[in-house]
Amino acid sequence: MTVFWFLIREGFKGLIRSKYAGAFSVIIIAISLILVGFGYVASRDTLFLVENIRAQFDVDIFLHKTASSEEIDNFAALLDSMTEVRNVHYISPENAAVKFKKEFGEDIFDILDYNPLPPSFTISLKPIYRNLVSVESIASILSNKPVVDEVKYRKQFLILLEKYQRIVLITVMAVFAFLALLSIILTSNSIKMTIFARRELISTMKLVGATNNFVRWPFIIEGTLQGFIGSCLASLFIYGIFYFLNNYLQTVIEYKAIVSFRFYIGIVISGSLLGLIGSRRAIRKFLK
Amino acid sequence: MISFINVNCTFGKKAGVKNINFSVNGGEFIFLTGPSGAGKSTILRLIYMDLFPEKGKVIIRNYNSNNIRDREIPYLRRKVGMVFQDFRLLPDRNVYQNVALSLYVSHYKTSEIKKRVYGVLNQVGLGHRVHYRPSELSGGEQQRVAIARALVKEPVVILADEPTGNLDPRVSIDLMSLLNKINKKGTAIIVATHNYSLIQRIPGARLIQIDEGEIVNIT
Ligand SMILES: Nc1ncnc2c1ncn2[C@@H]1O[C@H](COP(=O)(O)OP(=O)(O)O)[C@@H](O)[C@H]1O
Ligand SMILES: [Mg+2]
Repeated sequence: MTVFWFLIREGFKGLIRSKYAGAFSVIIIAISLILVGFGYVASRDTLFLVENIRAQFDVDIFLHKTASSEEIDNFAALLDSMTEVRNVHYISPENAAVKFKKEFGEDIFDILDYNPLPPSFTISLKPIYRNLVSVESIASILSNKPVVDEVKYRKQFLILLEKYQRIVLITVMAVFAFLALLSIILTSNSIKMTIFARRELISTMKLVGATNNFVRWPFIIEGTLQGFIGSCLASLFIYGIFYFLNNYLQTVIEYKAIVSFRFYIGIVISGSLLGLIGSRRAIRKFLK
Repeated sequence: MISFINVNCTFGKKAGVKNINFSVNGGEFIFLTGPSGAGKSTILRLIYMDLFPEKGKVIIRNYNSNNIRDREIPYLRRKVGMVFQDFRLLPDRNVYQNVALSLYVSHYKTSEIKKRVYGVLNQVGLGHRVHYRPSELSGGEQQRVAIARALVKEPVVILADEPTGNLDPRVSIDLMSLLNKINKKGTAIIVATHNYSLIQRIPGARLIQIDEGEIVNIT
Protein backbone atom coordinates (compact mmCIF):
# COMPACT_ATOMS: atom_id res chain seq x y z
CA MET A 1 0.00 0.00 0.00
CA THR A 2 2.83 2.38 0.91
CA VAL A 3 4.41 1.69 -2.45
CA PHE A 4 1.15 2.32 -4.28
CA TRP A 5 0.66 5.73 -2.68
CA PHE A 6 4.31 6.58 -3.06
CA LEU A 7 4.13 5.98 -6.82
CA ILE A 8 0.89 7.94 -7.20
CA ARG A 9 2.29 10.80 -5.14
CA GLU A 10 5.54 10.78 -7.10
CA GLY A 11 3.53 10.91 -10.32
CA PHE A 12 1.59 13.97 -9.18
CA LYS A 13 4.63 15.68 -7.67
CA GLY A 14 6.61 14.95 -10.81
CA LEU A 15 4.12 17.05 -12.72
CA ILE A 16 4.93 19.99 -10.48
CA ARG A 17 8.64 19.29 -10.25
CA SER A 18 9.06 19.14 -14.00
CA LYS A 19 7.93 22.78 -14.14
CA TYR A 20 8.41 24.28 -17.60
CA ALA A 21 9.15 21.03 -19.37
CA GLY A 22 5.94 19.57 -17.91
CA ALA A 23 3.89 22.63 -18.76
CA PHE A 24 5.34 22.51 -22.26
CA SER A 25 4.22 18.87 -22.64
CA VAL A 26 0.75 19.72 -21.46
CA ILE A 27 0.52 22.54 -24.01
CA ILE A 28 1.86 20.36 -26.81
CA ILE A 29 -0.71 17.69 -25.98
CA ALA A 30 -3.45 20.34 -25.87
CA ILE A 31 -2.43 21.74 -29.26
CA SER A 32 -2.25 18.28 -30.81
CA LEU A 33 -5.69 17.41 -29.55
CA ILE A 34 -7.15 20.71 -30.68
CA LEU A 35 -5.86 19.95 -34.17
CA VAL A 36 -7.16 16.39 -34.05
CA GLY A 37 -10.50 17.53 -32.60
CA PHE A 38 -11.08 20.14 -35.29
CA GLY A 39 -9.77 17.70 -37.90
CA TYR A 40 -12.30 15.15 -36.74
CA VAL A 41 -15.26 17.52 -36.85
CA ALA A 42 -14.21 18.97 -40.20
CA SER A 43 -13.83 15.55 -41.81
CA ARG A 44 -17.03 14.24 -40.29
CA ASP A 45 -19.00 17.22 -41.56
CA THR A 46 -17.38 17.17 -44.99
CA LEU A 47 -18.30 13.52 -45.45
CA PHE A 48 -21.74 14.26 -44.07
CA LEU A 49 -22.14 17.10 -46.53
CA VAL A 50 -21.22 14.86 -49.46
CA GLU A 51 -23.71 12.25 -48.28
CA ASN A 52 -26.32 14.94 -47.96
CA ILE A 53 -25.79 16.11 -51.49
CA ARG A 54 -26.07 12.53 -52.67
CA ALA A 55 -29.25 12.07 -50.68
CA GLN A 56 -30.92 14.79 -52.71
CA PHE A 57 -30.47 12.75 -55.83
CA ASP A 58 -33.67 11.33 -57.29
CA VAL A 59 -35.08 10.00 -60.54
CA ASP A 60 -38.13 11.36 -62.36
CA ILE A 61 -40.20 8.98 -64.47
CA PHE A 62 -42.73 10.50 -66.87
CA LEU A 63 -45.51 8.27 -68.13
CA HIS A 64 -47.45 8.60 -71.37
CA LYS A 65 -50.35 10.97 -71.08
CA THR A 66 -52.56 8.20 -72.28
CA ALA A 67 -51.73 5.87 -69.34
CA SER A 68 -54.83 4.53 -67.69
CA SER A 69 -55.24 4.63 -63.95
CA GLU A 70 -54.88 0.83 -63.89
CA GLU A 71 -51.58 1.06 -65.75
CA ILE A 72 -50.43 3.73 -63.34
CA ASP A 73 -51.35 1.58 -60.34
CA ASN A 74 -49.53 -1.42 -61.79
CA PHE A 75 -46.47 0.67 -62.47
CA ALA A 76 -46.57 2.07 -58.91
CA ALA A 77 -46.70 -1.50 -57.58
CA LEU A 78 -43.72 -2.42 -59.77
CA LEU A 79 -41.69 0.50 -58.42
CA ASP A 80 -42.60 -0.44 -54.87
CA SER A 81 -41.42 -3.97 -55.41
CA MET A 82 -37.95 -2.96 -56.70
CA THR A 83 -35.22 -3.54 -54.11
CA GLU A 84 -33.23 -0.50 -55.27
CA VAL A 85 -36.09 1.89 -54.60
CA ARG A 86 -36.45 3.52 -51.25
CA ASN A 87 -39.26 5.95 -51.80
CA VAL A 88 -41.97 6.35 -54.44
CA HIS A 89 -43.85 9.59 -54.93
CA TYR A 90 -46.68 9.84 -57.49
CA ILE A 91 -47.49 13.17 -59.12
CA SER A 92 -50.80 13.23 -60.95
CA PRO A 93 -51.31 15.71 -63.85
CA GLU A 94 -53.39 17.86 -61.51
CA ASN A 95 -50.68 17.96 -58.88
CA ALA A 96 -48.15 18.68 -61.61
CA ALA A 97 -50.19 21.71 -62.62
CA VAL A 98 -50.22 22.95 -59.05
CA LYS A 99 -46.49 22.39 -58.84
CA PHE A 100 -46.02 24.21 -62.13
CA LYS A 101 -47.87 27.20 -60.79
CA LYS A 102 -45.77 27.20 -57.69
CA GLU A 103 -42.53 26.98 -59.60
CA PHE A 104 -43.24 29.33 -62.48
CA GLY A 105 -45.84 31.61 -60.96
CA GLU A 106 -48.22 31.12 -63.87
CA ASP A 107 -51.31 29.04 -64.18
CA ILE A 108 -50.88 26.52 -66.98
CA PHE A 109 -54.58 26.90 -67.88
CA ASP A 110 -54.03 30.58 -68.63
CA ILE A 111 -51.55 29.61 -71.36
CA LEU A 112 -53.23 26.50 -72.71
CA ASP A 113 -56.80 25.48 -72.33
CA TYR A 114 -55.86 21.92 -71.45
CA ASN A 115 -53.38 20.32 -69.05
CA PRO A 116 -50.34 19.09 -71.06
CA LEU A 117 -48.58 17.64 -68.05
CA PRO A 118 -48.23 13.88 -67.88
CA PRO A 119 -48.53 11.74 -64.76
CA SER A 120 -45.13 11.10 -63.24
CA PHE A 121 -43.26 9.41 -60.43
CA THR A 122 -40.33 10.69 -58.45
CA ILE A 123 -38.35 7.91 -56.84
CA SER A 124 -35.42 8.05 -54.51
CA LEU A 125 -32.96 5.16 -54.36
CA LYS A 126 -31.40 3.42 -51.43
CA PRO A 127 -27.99 5.00 -50.64
CA ILE A 128 -25.88 2.18 -52.10
CA TYR A 129 -27.68 2.47 -55.48
CA ARG A 130 -27.07 6.20 -55.79
CA ASN A 131 -24.23 5.72 -58.24
CA LEU A 132 -23.91 6.06 -61.97
CA VAL A 133 -23.81 2.35 -62.83
CA SER A 134 -26.89 1.40 -60.81
CA VAL A 135 -28.86 4.43 -61.86
CA GLU A 136 -28.16 3.81 -65.54
CA SER A 137 -29.29 0.21 -65.36
CA ILE A 138 -32.44 1.11 -63.41
CA ALA A 139 -33.23 3.87 -65.88
CA SER A 140 -32.84 1.58 -68.87
CA ILE A 141 -35.09 -1.08 -67.34
CA LEU A 142 -37.77 1.48 -66.59
CA SER A 143 -37.60 3.24 -69.98
CA ASN A 144 -38.34 -0.08 -71.65
CA LYS A 145 -41.72 -0.32 -69.95
CA PRO A 146 -44.47 0.58 -72.49
CA VAL A 147 -46.20 2.89 -70.04
CA VAL A 148 -43.04 4.99 -69.56
CA ASP A 149 -42.40 7.94 -71.79
CA GLU A 150 -39.12 9.24 -70.37
CA VAL A 151 -36.76 8.71 -67.42
CA LYS A 152 -34.86 11.76 -66.27
CA TYR A 153 -32.05 12.16 -63.75
CA ARG A 154 -29.06 14.44 -63.28
CA LYS A 155 -26.36 12.39 -64.91
CA GLN A 156 -23.75 15.13 -64.89
CA PHE A 157 -24.33 15.65 -61.18
CA LEU A 158 -23.63 11.98 -60.46
CA ILE A 159 -20.48 11.98 -62.58
CA LEU A 160 -19.10 15.03 -60.79
CA LEU A 161 -20.05 13.73 -57.38
CA GLU A 162 -18.30 10.44 -57.96
CA LYS A 163 -15.21 12.17 -59.21
CA TYR A 164 -14.90 14.56 -56.28
CA GLN A 165 -16.11 12.32 -53.55
CA ARG A 166 -13.04 10.11 -53.79
CA ILE A 167 -10.77 13.14 -53.72
CA VAL A 168 -12.57 14.56 -50.71
CA LEU A 169 -12.51 11.25 -48.87
CA ILE A 170 -8.80 10.66 -49.48
CA THR A 171 -7.87 14.22 -48.56
CA VAL A 172 -9.90 14.11 -45.38
CA MET A 173 -8.41 10.76 -44.34
CA ALA A 174 -4.88 11.89 -45.13
CA VAL A 175 -5.22 15.14 -43.19
CA PHE A 176 -6.73 13.35 -40.23
CA ALA A 177 -4.10 10.60 -40.21
CA PHE A 178 -1.38 13.22 -40.48
CA LEU A 179 -2.75 15.17 -37.52
CA ALA A 180 -3.08 12.02 -35.41
CA LEU A 181 0.46 10.94 -36.23
CA LEU A 182 1.79 14.41 -35.58
CA SER A 183 0.15 14.50 -32.19
CA ILE A 184 1.68 11.14 -31.22
CA ILE A 185 5.16 12.23 -32.28
CA LEU A 186 4.92 15.65 -30.63
CA THR A 187 3.60 14.19 -27.40
CA SER A 188 6.17 11.44 -27.24
CA ASN A 189 8.99 13.92 -27.85
CA SER A 190 7.86 16.49 -25.34
CA ILE A 191 7.43 13.79 -22.69
CA LYS A 192 10.90 12.56 -23.56
CA MET A 193 12.13 16.05 -22.77
CA THR A 194 10.46 16.13 -19.38
CA ILE A 195 11.98 12.76 -18.55
CA PHE A 196 15.36 13.81 -19.85
CA ALA A 197 15.24 16.81 -17.54
CA ARG A 198 14.99 14.39 -14.64
CA ARG A 199 17.32 11.58 -15.69
CA GLU A 200 19.14 12.33 -12.45
CA LEU A 201 16.13 11.02 -10.55
CA ILE A 202 16.11 7.88 -12.66
CA SER A 203 19.80 7.15 -12.14
CA THR A 204 19.52 7.85 -8.41
CA MET A 205 16.55 5.55 -8.04
CA LYS A 206 18.38 2.80 -9.89
CA LEU A 207 21.46 3.40 -7.77
CA VAL A 208 19.58 2.82 -4.53
CA GLY A 209 17.99 -0.36 -5.86
CA ALA A 210 14.75 0.51 -7.62
CA THR A 211 13.47 -2.00 -10.15
CA ASN A 212 12.71 -0.73 -13.65
CA ASN A 213 9.01 -1.06 -12.97
CA PHE A 214 9.29 1.06 -9.88
CA VAL A 215 11.13 3.77 -11.80
CA ARG A 216 8.66 3.59 -14.66
CA TRP A 217 5.38 4.06 -12.80
CA PRO A 218 5.70 7.65 -11.55
CA PHE A 219 6.62 8.75 -15.07
CA ILE A 220 3.71 6.89 -16.61
CA ILE A 221 1.32 8.39 -14.07
CA GLU A 222 2.80 11.81 -14.72
CA GLY A 223 2.52 11.39 -18.50
CA THR A 224 -1.08 10.25 -18.23
CA LEU A 225 -1.86 13.26 -16.04
CA GLN A 226 -0.21 15.54 -18.56
CA GLY A 227 -2.37 13.98 -21.25
CA PHE A 228 -5.47 14.36 -19.12
CA ILE A 229 -4.82 18.02 -18.33
CA GLY A 230 -3.80 18.80 -21.90
CA SER A 231 -6.95 17.20 -23.27
CA CYS A 232 -9.16 19.03 -20.78
CA LEU A 233 -7.60 22.28 -21.97
CA ALA A 234 -8.14 21.22 -25.58
CA SER A 235 -11.79 20.38 -24.86
CA LEU A 236 -12.36 23.76 -23.25
CA PHE A 237 -10.73 25.53 -26.17
CA ILE A 238 -12.73 23.62 -28.78
CA TYR A 239 -15.92 24.15 -26.80
CA GLY A 240 -15.22 27.88 -26.66
CA ILE A 241 -14.54 28.11 -30.38
CA PHE A 242 -17.66 26.16 -31.29
CA TYR A 243 -19.73 28.20 -28.88
CA PHE A 244 -18.50 31.40 -30.47
CA LEU A 245 -19.03 30.01 -33.98
CA ASN A 246 -22.55 28.78 -33.29
CA ASN A 247 -23.69 31.87 -31.44
CA TYR A 248 -21.94 34.86 -32.93
CA LEU A 249 -20.64 33.93 -36.35
CA GLN A 250 -23.83 32.69 -37.97
CA THR A 251 -24.14 35.89 -39.98
CA VAL A 252 -20.71 35.28 -41.50
CA ILE A 253 -20.77 31.56 -42.13
CA GLU A 254 -23.80 29.38 -42.31
CA TYR A 255 -22.33 26.43 -40.51
CA LYS A 256 -22.99 25.13 -37.06
CA ALA A 257 -20.53 22.73 -35.46
CA ILE A 258 -22.64 20.30 -33.51
CA VAL A 259 -20.77 17.86 -31.26
CA SER A 260 -22.08 15.76 -28.43
CA PHE A 261 -20.70 15.41 -24.93
CA ARG A 262 -19.24 12.10 -26.09
CA PHE A 263 -16.92 14.02 -28.41
CA TYR A 264 -15.31 15.80 -25.45
CA ILE A 265 -15.12 12.57 -23.46
CA GLY A 266 -13.41 11.06 -26.49
CA ILE A 267 -10.85 13.87 -26.54
CA VAL A 268 -10.08 13.45 -22.85
CA ILE A 269 -9.71 9.69 -23.18
CA SER A 270 -7.50 10.02 -26.27
CA GLY A 271 -5.38 12.63 -24.52
CA SER A 272 -4.87 10.48 -21.45
CA LEU A 273 -4.02 7.48 -23.59
CA LEU A 274 -1.66 9.62 -25.63
CA GLY A 275 0.11 10.63 -22.42
CA LEU A 276 0.21 7.07 -21.15
CA ILE A 277 1.58 5.57 -24.35
CA GLY A 278 3.93 8.51 -24.92
CA SER A 279 5.47 8.24 -21.47
CA ARG A 280 5.73 4.45 -21.66
CA ARG A 281 7.61 4.79 -24.94
CA ALA A 282 9.76 7.66 -23.68
CA ILE A 283 10.84 6.07 -20.39
CA ARG A 284 12.02 2.90 -22.11
CA LYS A 285 15.05 4.73 -23.51
CA PHE A 286 16.18 5.87 -20.08
CA LEU A 287 15.96 2.51 -18.40
CA LYS A 288 18.53 0.78 -20.60
CA MET B 1 31.49 -11.62 0.92
CA ILE B 2 33.12 -9.90 -2.09
CA SER B 3 35.49 -11.77 -4.37
CA PHE B 4 37.23 -10.70 -7.55
CA ILE B 5 38.62 -13.66 -9.44
CA ASN B 6 40.96 -12.89 -12.36
CA VAL B 7 38.85 -9.93 -13.38
CA ASN B 8 39.55 -8.01 -16.56
CA CYS B 9 37.47 -5.02 -17.49
CA THR B 10 39.08 -2.78 -20.06
CA PHE B 11 38.09 0.15 -22.20
CA GLY B 12 40.03 0.06 -25.41
CA LYS B 13 43.69 -0.98 -25.21
CA LYS B 14 45.23 0.24 -21.98
CA ALA B 15 42.44 1.72 -19.84
CA GLY B 16 40.43 -0.24 -17.30
CA VAL B 17 41.55 -2.98 -14.91
CA LYS B 18 43.36 -6.28 -15.49
CA ASN B 19 43.92 -9.44 -13.57
CA ILE B 20 42.28 -8.30 -10.36
CA ASN B 21 42.14 -10.79 -7.47
CA PHE B 22 41.06 -9.94 -3.97
CA SER B 23 38.34 -10.64 -1.48
CA VAL B 24 36.67 -8.69 1.26
CA ASN B 25 35.09 -10.16 4.37
CA GLY B 26 32.09 -8.80 6.23
CA GLY B 27 32.90 -5.86 8.50
CA GLU B 28 36.28 -5.00 6.97
CA PHE B 29 37.50 -1.46 6.25
CA ILE B 30 39.36 -1.27 2.95
CA PHE B 31 41.22 1.54 1.24
CA LEU B 32 41.46 1.28 -2.52
CA THR B 33 44.27 3.64 -3.42
CA GLY B 34 46.22 4.67 -6.44
CA PRO B 35 46.73 7.67 -8.65
CA SER B 36 43.85 9.07 -10.56
CA GLY B 37 43.06 6.93 -13.61
CA ALA B 38 44.41 3.80 -11.91
CA GLY B 39 41.05 1.96 -12.03
CA LYS B 40 39.56 2.53 -8.57
CA SER B 41 36.15 3.68 -9.78
CA THR B 42 36.08 0.83 -12.27
CA ILE B 43 36.50 -1.68 -9.43
CA LEU B 44 33.68 -0.09 -7.43
CA ARG B 45 31.40 -0.09 -10.47
CA LEU B 46 32.15 -3.78 -10.92
CA ILE B 47 31.01 -4.35 -7.33
CA TYR B 48 27.61 -2.69 -7.75
CA MET B 49 27.40 -4.26 -11.20
CA ASP B 50 27.25 -1.11 -13.20
CA LEU B 51 30.03 -2.76 -15.22
CA PHE B 52 30.69 -6.41 -15.98
CA PRO B 53 34.04 -8.15 -16.40
CA GLU B 54 35.22 -9.35 -19.78
CA LYS B 55 37.16 -12.11 -18.13
CA GLY B 56 36.93 -13.67 -14.67
CA LYS B 57 34.07 -13.05 -12.27
CA VAL B 58 32.91 -10.83 -9.46
CA ILE B 59 31.00 -12.49 -6.65
CA ILE B 60 29.01 -10.39 -4.18
CA ARG B 61 27.41 -12.64 -1.55
CA ASN B 62 25.19 -14.94 -3.60
CA TYR B 63 25.33 -12.89 -6.81
CA ASN B 64 27.74 -13.83 -9.57
CA SER B 65 28.55 -11.32 -12.31
CA ASN B 66 28.54 -14.11 -14.88
CA ASN B 67 24.98 -15.21 -14.39
CA ILE B 68 23.14 -12.40 -12.59
CA ARG B 69 19.97 -11.37 -14.40
CA ASP B 70 19.13 -7.74 -15.13
CA ARG B 71 16.17 -7.86 -12.82
CA GLU B 72 18.27 -9.15 -9.92
CA ILE B 73 20.58 -6.14 -9.95
CA PRO B 74 18.21 -3.89 -7.94
CA TYR B 75 18.19 -6.51 -5.18
CA LEU B 76 21.99 -6.57 -5.13
CA ARG B 77 22.05 -2.77 -4.87
CA ARG B 78 19.76 -2.83 -1.87
CA LYS B 79 22.58 -4.59 -0.06
CA VAL B 80 25.33 -2.26 -1.32
CA GLY B 81 25.39 1.42 -0.32
CA MET B 82 27.05 3.94 -2.62
CA VAL B 83 28.63 7.31 -1.86
CA PHE B 84 30.21 9.56 -4.48
CA GLN B 85 32.50 12.55 -4.60
CA ASP B 86 29.69 14.71 -6.04
CA PHE B 87 27.08 13.49 -3.46
CA ARG B 88 24.39 12.83 -6.12
CA LEU B 89 21.50 14.05 -4.00
CA LEU B 90 18.23 15.08 -5.61
CA PRO B 91 18.11 18.88 -5.46
CA ASP B 92 14.32 19.17 -5.43
CA ARG B 93 13.84 17.01 -2.33
CA ASN B 94 14.69 17.65 1.26
CA VAL B 95 17.07 15.59 3.38
CA TYR B 96 14.33 13.31 4.67
CA GLN B 97 12.98 12.59 1.19
CA ASN B 98 16.44 11.95 -0.23
CA VAL B 99 17.16 9.34 2.40
CA ALA B 100 13.65 7.85 2.41
CA LEU B 101 13.79 7.23 -1.36
CA SER B 102 16.25 4.46 -0.63
CA LEU B 103 13.61 2.61 1.40
CA TYR B 104 10.57 3.42 -0.73
CA VAL B 105 12.18 1.64 -3.66
CA SER B 106 12.48 -1.47 -1.48
CA HIS B 107 8.79 -1.41 -0.56
CA TYR B 108 9.05 -0.58 3.15
CA LYS B 109 6.06 0.64 5.14
CA THR B 110 5.77 4.36 5.86
CA SER B 111 6.03 3.91 9.62
CA GLU B 112 9.15 1.78 9.25
CA ILE B 113 10.65 4.27 6.81
CA LYS B 114 10.09 7.14 9.21
CA LYS B 115 11.65 5.31 12.11
CA ARG B 116 14.70 4.26 10.16
CA VAL B 117 15.29 7.59 8.40
CA TYR B 118 15.15 9.60 11.63
CA GLY B 119 17.38 7.03 13.30
CA VAL B 120 20.03 7.16 10.61
CA LEU B 121 19.92 10.97 10.31
CA ASN B 122 20.62 11.24 14.03
CA GLN B 123 23.41 8.73 13.64
CA VAL B 124 25.17 10.91 11.01
CA GLY B 125 24.48 14.05 13.05
CA LEU B 126 21.85 15.62 10.83
CA GLY B 127 18.77 15.26 13.06
CA HIS B 128 18.35 19.03 12.92
CA ARG B 129 18.52 19.32 9.13
CA VAL B 130 15.69 16.98 8.19
CA HIS B 131 13.69 19.51 6.16
CA TYR B 132 16.60 21.26 4.46
CA ARG B 133 17.23 21.08 0.75
CA PRO B 134 20.71 19.88 -0.34
CA SER B 135 21.47 23.40 -1.62
CA GLU B 136 20.97 24.74 1.91
CA LEU B 137 23.64 22.42 3.33
CA SER B 138 27.42 22.55 3.43
CA GLY B 139 29.45 20.02 1.45
CA GLY B 140 30.20 17.99 4.55
CA GLU B 141 26.53 17.89 5.47
CA GLN B 142 25.54 16.87 1.95
CA GLN B 143 28.00 14.00 2.07
CA ARG B 144 26.50 12.92 5.41
CA VAL B 145 23.09 12.84 3.75
CA ALA B 146 24.57 10.63 1.04
CA ILE B 147 26.04 8.37 3.71
CA ALA B 148 22.69 8.26 5.51
CA ARG B 149 21.02 7.29 2.25
CA ALA B 150 23.46 4.43 1.80
CA LEU B 151 23.31 3.37 5.44
CA VAL B 152 19.53 3.39 5.83
CA LYS B 153 19.27 0.27 3.68
CA GLU B 154 21.36 -1.57 6.27
CA PRO B 155 23.77 -2.65 3.57
CA VAL B 156 26.48 -5.24 4.00
CA VAL B 157 29.00 -2.87 2.44
CA ILE B 158 29.27 0.83 1.70
CA LEU B 159 31.32 1.84 -1.35
CA ALA B 160 32.68 5.38 -1.18
CA ASP B 161 34.32 6.78 -4.33
CA GLU B 162 36.54 9.74 -3.37
CA PRO B 163 34.04 10.71 -0.64
CA THR B 164 36.22 13.59 0.58
CA GLY B 165 37.19 14.81 -2.88
CA ASN B 166 35.05 17.92 -2.61
CA LEU B 167 35.57 18.56 1.11
CA ASP B 168 38.19 20.53 2.97
CA PRO B 169 40.67 18.64 5.20
CA ARG B 170 38.97 19.26 8.55
CA VAL B 171 35.57 18.15 7.25
CA SER B 172 37.27 15.17 5.59
CA ILE B 173 38.64 14.03 8.93
CA ASP B 174 35.17 14.22 10.51
CA LEU B 175 33.72 12.26 7.63
CA MET B 176 36.35 9.53 7.96
CA SER B 177 35.57 9.18 11.66
CA LEU B 178 31.88 8.87 10.81
CA LEU B 179 32.71 6.07 8.37
CA ASN B 180 34.89 4.49 11.03
CA LYS B 181 32.01 4.62 13.51
CA ILE B 182 29.68 2.97 10.98
CA ASN B 183 32.29 0.31 10.30
CA LYS B 184 32.59 -0.45 14.03
CA LYS B 185 28.91 -1.37 14.02
CA GLY B 186 29.60 -4.09 11.46
CA THR B 187 29.18 -2.62 7.99
CA ALA B 188 32.07 -3.28 5.62
CA ILE B 189 33.41 -0.14 3.98
CA ILE B 190 35.48 0.32 0.84
CA VAL B 191 36.89 3.80 0.29
CA ALA B 192 38.47 4.59 -3.07
CA THR B 193 40.84 7.54 -2.80
CA HIS B 194 44.02 8.98 -4.19
CA ASN B 195 44.50 10.90 -0.93
CA TYR B 196 46.95 8.77 1.08
CA SER B 197 46.68 10.99 4.14
CA LEU B 198 43.20 9.59 4.83
CA ILE B 199 44.61 6.12 5.41
CA GLN B 200 46.22 6.93 8.73
CA ARG B 201 42.77 7.99 10.03
CA ILE B 202 41.65 4.37 10.14
CA PRO B 203 44.14 2.25 12.00
CA GLY B 204 43.83 -1.38 11.08
CA ALA B 205 42.25 -0.77 7.69
CA ARG B 206 43.33 -3.01 4.82
CA LEU B 207 44.99 -1.47 1.82
CA ILE B 208 44.64 -2.36 -1.86
CA GLN B 209 46.96 -0.32 -4.01
CA ILE B 210 46.44 -0.23 -7.74
CA ASP B 211 48.29 1.37 -10.56
CA GLU B 212 47.54 1.34 -14.27
CA GLY B 213 44.73 -1.10 -13.76
CA GLU B 214 46.61 -3.71 -11.75
CA ILE B 215 46.98 -4.43 -8.07
CA VAL B 216 50.50 -3.54 -6.99
CA ASN B 217 50.17 -4.05 -3.26
CA ILE B 218 47.59 -5.63 -1.02
CA THR B 219 47.51 -6.04 2.76
N1 LIG C 1 33.44 4.35 -19.57
C1 LIG C 1 34.75 4.45 -19.87
N2 LIG C 1 35.14 4.46 -21.17
C2 LIG C 1 36.43 4.52 -21.51
N3 LIG C 1 37.42 4.58 -20.62
C3 LIG C 1 37.11 4.59 -19.32
C4 LIG C 1 35.74 4.53 -18.87
N4 LIG C 1 35.72 4.53 -17.52
C5 LIG C 1 37.02 4.59 -17.14
N5 LIG C 1 37.84 4.63 -18.20
C6 LIG C 1 39.29 4.65 -18.16
O1 LIG C 1 39.71 3.59 -17.33
C7 LIG C 1 40.80 4.01 -16.52
C8 LIG C 1 40.45 3.83 -15.07
O2 LIG C 1 39.42 4.75 -14.75
P1 LIG C 1 38.84 4.91 -13.28
O3 LIG C 1 38.45 3.58 -12.79
O4 LIG C 1 37.79 5.94 -13.34
O5 LIG C 1 40.11 5.46 -12.50
P2 LIG C 1 40.18 6.09 -11.05
O6 LIG C 1 38.83 6.00 -10.43
O7 LIG C 1 41.20 5.28 -10.35
O8 LIG C 1 40.65 7.50 -11.22
C9 LIG C 1 41.10 5.46 -16.88
O9 LIG C 1 42.15 5.47 -17.81
C10 LIG C 1 39.79 5.92 -17.52
O10 LIG C 1 40.10 6.91 -18.45
MG1 LIG D 1 37.57 7.60 -9.91
